Amino acid sequence: MTPEAQYAKLRQSGHDRRVASRLWSFMRPHRRLITTGLLLLLVTSACRLIAPFLVKIAIDDHIEPGNLDGFPRLMMLFVAVSAAELLLRKLQMYTVDKAGQNALFDLRVALFSHMQKLSMRFFDRNKTGVLVGRVTTDIEALQELFSSGVVTILGDAVFLVSTLVILFWQNWQLTLVSLVIVPFLLLTTSLIRKRVRSAYEAMRSRISQMNGFLHENVTGMALIQIFRREELARSEFQPINDAVEESQLGAMKLETILSAAVELLGSLTTALILWYGGGVVLETLGADASELGVGSGLTIGALFLFVDYMGKFFRPLSDLSQKYTVLQNALTAGDRVFRLMDETDLVPEPSGDAVLPPTRGEIEFRDVTFRYDDGEAALSNMSWRLERGQSLAIVGDTGAGKTTVLKLLTRLYHLEEGGILLDGLDIREYPSRELRRRVGVVLQDVFLFNGTILENIRLGHPEITNERAAEIADRLHLGELFNRFPLGYNQLVTERGKNLSSGEKQLISFARVLATEPEILVMDEATSNVDTHTEALLQEAMRALMEDRTSIIIAHRLSTIQNVDRILVLRKGELAEEGTHEELMAQGGIYRRLFDLQGLTAV
Amino acid sequence: MRVLRHLGPYLKRYRWTYILGAIAIVLHVFLKVLIPHFLGVTIDELSESEQKDPDAVRSAIAWSAFSIVAAAVLGATIRTWSRLLVLGGSRRVVHDLRRDVFDRLLKLPPSFYVRNRTGEVMSRVVNDVRNVQGLMGPVYMYLAETAVMYAICVSMIASISPYLLLLGVAPFPLFIVAARRMAGKIQQGSKDAQEELAQLSSKVDESLSGHMVIQTLTLEEYDFERFRERAEEYRRKNLYVSQARASLAPLMLGLSAVSTIVILWVGGPMVVRGEISLGSFLALTFYLAMMAAPTGVLGFVISSLQRGAVSLGRLRELTETEVTLTEPDSPIAIEGRLGELRVEGLTVTYGSPELGVLGADEADPAEGEEFVDPGSRVVLDNLSFALKPGDTLAVVGQTGSGKTTLMRILARELEVERGQVSFGGVDVCDLGLFDLRGRIGYVPQETFLFSKTLADNVALGNPGASREEIQLAIESARLGKDLDQLPNGVDTLLGERGVNLSGGQRQRTALARVMLLDPDLMLLDDTLSAVDSHTAEEILDELEPMMAGRSTVIATHRLSTIRHANHILVLEGGKLVEEGTHTSLLKANGTYARLWRRQSEGDSA
Ligand SMILES: Nc1ncnc2c1ncn2[C@@H]1O[C@H](COP(=O)(O)OP(=O)(O)OP(=O)(O)O)[C@@H](O)[C@H]1O
Ligand SMILES: Nc1ncnc2c1ncn2[C@@H]1O[C@H](COP(=O)(O)OP(=O)(O)OP(=O)(O)O)[C@@H](O)[C@H]1O
Ligand SMILES: [Mg+2]
Ligand SMILES: [Mg+2]
Repeated sequence: MTPEAQYAKLRQSGHDRRVASRLWSFMRPHRRLITTGLLLLLVTSACRLIAPFLVKIAIDDHIEPGNLDGFPRLMMLFVAVSAAELLLRKLQMYTVDKAGQNALFDLRVALFSHMQKLSMRFFDRNKTGVLVGRVTTDIEALQELFSSGVVTILGDAVFLVSTLVILFWQNWQLTLVSLVIVPFLLLTTSLIRKRVRSAYEAMRSRISQMNGFLHENVTGMALIQIFRREELARSEFQPINDAVEESQLGAMKLETILSAAVELLGSLTTALILWYGGGVVLETLGADASELGVGSGLTIGALFLFVDYMGKFFRPLSDLSQKYTVLQNALTAGDRVFRLMDETDLVPEPSGDAVLPPTRGEIEFRDVTFRYDDGEAALSNMSWRLERGQSLAIVGDTGAGKTTVLKLLTRLYHLEEGGILLDGLDIREYPSRELRRRVGVVLQDVFLFNGTILENIRLGHPEITNERAAEIADRLHLGELFNRFPLGYNQLVTERGKNLSSGEKQLISFARVLATEPEILVMDEATSNVDTHTEALLQEAMRALMEDRTSIIIAHRLSTIQNVDRILVLRKGELAEEGTHEELMAQGGIYRRLFDLQGLTAV
Repeated sequence: MRVLRHLGPYLKRYRWTYILGAIAIVLHVFLKVLIPHFLGVTIDELSESEQKDPDAVRSAIAWSAFSIVAAAVLGATIRTWSRLLVLGGSRRVVHDLRRDVFDRLLKLPPSFYVRNRTGEVMSRVVNDVRNVQGLMGPVYMYLAETAVMYAICVSMIASISPYLLLLGVAPFPLFIVAARRMAGKIQQGSKDAQEELAQLSSKVDESLSGHMVIQTLTLEEYDFERFRERAEEYRRKNLYVSQARASLAPLMLGLSAVSTIVILWVGGPMVVRGEISLGSFLALTFYLAMMAAPTGVLGFVISSLQRGAVSLGRLRELTETEVTLTEPDSPIAIEGRLGELRVEGLTVTYGSPELGVLGADEADPAEGEEFVDPGSRVVLDNLSFALKPGDTLAVVGQTGSGKTTLMRILARELEVERGQVSFGGVDVCDLGLFDLRGRIGYVPQETFLFSKTLADNVALGNPGASREEIQLAIESARLGKDLDQLPNGVDTLLGERGVNLSGGQRQRTALARVMLLDPDLMLLDDTLSAVDSHTAEEILDELEPMMAGRSTVIATHRLSTIRHANHILVLEGGKLVEEGTHTSLLKANGTYARLWRRQSEGDSA
């Protein structure tokens, strides 16, 4: 599904509240910090309320009547209140931020570990660049929830309510008049709301598209340059970049309109208070104080208080309009994150605790049929059996389905038709990790990690020490190769092993599997880029290491497989021939032809 | 803050946007400041109402209220305008910036991408550019608004009472000093955090790209720990910034509180003594409040500013990375076909992987001292050979002996020193890079496919190719028989890096790319390693007529494929140890003969 289509679907189900509640589930463990933050917020809000009130007293009781008794005391109080607000504010900001950082850390970690469980099928379909964006860019957008103080909206709400109470107490008519504007505010917000949301959705999906594009182009940059496709890449990037800009402009316009509206309504309120309140003050000044009841009548100080409070009343609201967009952005991002967390493209794990047989190393394929998508079967009706300690070779044309065999054996893909048995038990009954621990695979596509060569062999296995890793490497004769490096085995490997030769990379990925001493070893074109001399040394060493263990070798260079116990010849996903080297040669079929074509027998 | 200078070209391009934006901001702020002024007028009317006619007071108040409404409407309009200008401008600046950064990425040589991680580069284009946007939009606006607001408010206060102004701004210097210190902390913190984010994103990238290895080798826990460490570190660095920011914001609020107190304390009695009117006094407190409002967000602004500046510096680092492989100033045009290839004394040294990495603190060599890289390694040592047009040269040798390195030099993927490689007597450094690459067909040892259709992938080097030509190239690469296994034939969309193809299918796609071209020089680096011998033989048959008319260099481990090469080089540890034809080398009974025997023995055993 295209991102656009996904978002259309998402919009239908529009579930801000669900996103918020799931976000809350990550915040809950840090609720003590959050509660502390909110309590602090209450106190600072109270301080913020008291200050204008003190000014009102200063005006009405001291400045206007010209009575300076007690004025210094009042001022001292003002100083104290301000100081308290400042100190607590700092604490409050930090507390909320910390709670946020902690929650997001948890979320990030949870997302990552969920992605670790997703199946190959999922990764076949999704671009790395886009997925990386989920863990980084999208969670960053969530982070803004905390750093921009959206979380303190709760505090703002308390503040708003207490402001209203004080104002009603001062003069309820004027308060009502001041609030005339509020419905307009709500109306504007609700009108714009939906559009803001979809603007942000568009923006985030465009950004994500851009991430995917950039990632692919950065990884394939050498090729772009060699094939002189810079101009093409540039022209492909342009519409993507433009689309990001355009979607951002869209979101920005709505944001601007919203915040201008809030500011305008705020000023109109001030005008209204002055106009109406001014009249009331005039009457109050003309009248006798005793004629006025509580909650009516107005002093100049109180008028000031109204203007000040309403200003303060609108400030959070206008903040709110800005925060609202942050909130929308974050909710959209959060939604993307949670949807990835809901992705269920997992290889199903067994439910019951089947008693796992002791490892012997027997494999059986029973009528295995597999197709990747709805296309043609990559494997059809395949059956074969491999006894403990035997070695098996799988050969065949490219695209015949050899790699698919091992992808199924390790449950990278879920098998639906037929069955594969390991030591007599269907592999679907094994927890996939246990299964993979028994079957060590050297993949056709080499992948190395950042780190030293030794680290790449050890790969965090506690039982493989540096010495052990070096020993394995030495036994495989890698020492001669890697001694040429200034740091030997401690040479740093850059991303994907880009600073090593192809053969060197294959040798490292070979060594790291052997180091784990798996019960069954599967090698898929493990030495296709290695010279024959090194390859022969390697095979000798391997034979010693793998003594009595089951092994499967997939290779195009037939010279590497002649000593195996049995050979399977695949053709278009079917098992075409089967037997020992001698049998197959005698049979004179596909294998014979392949072998003769090596061209070497003719010499 | 010097890095801000680098925004110059963009600001220049959009200078009218930003100038008009600034003018709009001035107008808007001015209108906004009028509101407390009318407020003061109203209050004065009220407090002096005893001596006046109530109706006159009423109409004066109404007039003030109306003025406020007018100012507000006008203000909101202008404000919308100013934001659209400035924020819109920032999006445009960032759009251009992103384009320029991408342009730069297209120019940086492949060696740059060997040293720098994809995640690191991506983080710069995505996250850092976003931070610059904050700088050019909100930060510019807030700073402009604040500056104008301060200017206007200060002059308004001065017109009411210069004495109070002096008292009101007295605490400023103190706060500025404190704020500067805090800002420094935020800047350092932001820099660390940005770097850590790049690291984190590289880590995630690695884990996702390597998911197949991680799953099959059950490395989930190991990988998870490595990710966790990075995420933990990122949280730590962010908290540091939070802390600094949390100290800054109240500092700014404190500034306004102190001013308010000073003014109340001193100004209150002044009103009592009749030195200033109550209305002006209250207006004054509003001015102060207005000054405080932007001050409140100044903490946010300062941290955004610092973050933007840091990011700008990081982008700068990218755009300032030296492009070591560039078009010569006055390239010599290639006429006709490429001439004879001559390699003389070719020596290639790779630096240690830690050097030349973005964001690393490069240790500057001491004055006058030549910097010696302890991790550097010579991988091709004084290699010389010649290749006549139409001939085929084979390169064999142990893993890591430098075959691919030689190919990359010839394909102009790696920098080469002047005087080592020439075509038809012209040094490659004098030939146009673009021109030359167009005449070379290179099939790298490792295949990279884009997630486009198969046809688009094949047509990479020749986007104008017709369907028939593409089909033909696919057939020649013996990929035709695989097409019926793909759901949409040549229009099948490939997954990232071609995940939905088999290893051999991928390799043949890369080969088909070159079959579609008409190169003068073909470079085939272990191109048949992933295909079966049957297919390999068929492909060789196809290649033969192609090779007849052009020079070809083949690097391979399958000696059977190069029996007919005109010349064979045998490399060992980067040195040329043997050369000759297949027969002469067999006769010489050296490394080549040993390798050959090993292969044929293996096969007849
Ligand atoms: N992830 C995938 N999604 C869809 N189709 C796939 C996928 N992986 C492989 N295929 C298809 O399945 C068929 C068998 O592929 P497989 O990788 O098993 O071949 P192979 O025998 O290993 O070939 P090679 O020798 O080239 O490595 C091919 O036609 C291939 O295009
Ligand atoms: N970018 C690089 N930075 C540092 N060292 C490198 C880089 N690329 C290759 N090397 C090293 O240079 C040596 C030669 O590498 P090269 O890829 O040329 O070997 P090769 O002969 O092609 O090997 P293979 O047969 O395995 O393909 C290797 O030891 C490799 O580790
Ligand atoms: Mg395969
Ligand atoms: Mg190579």
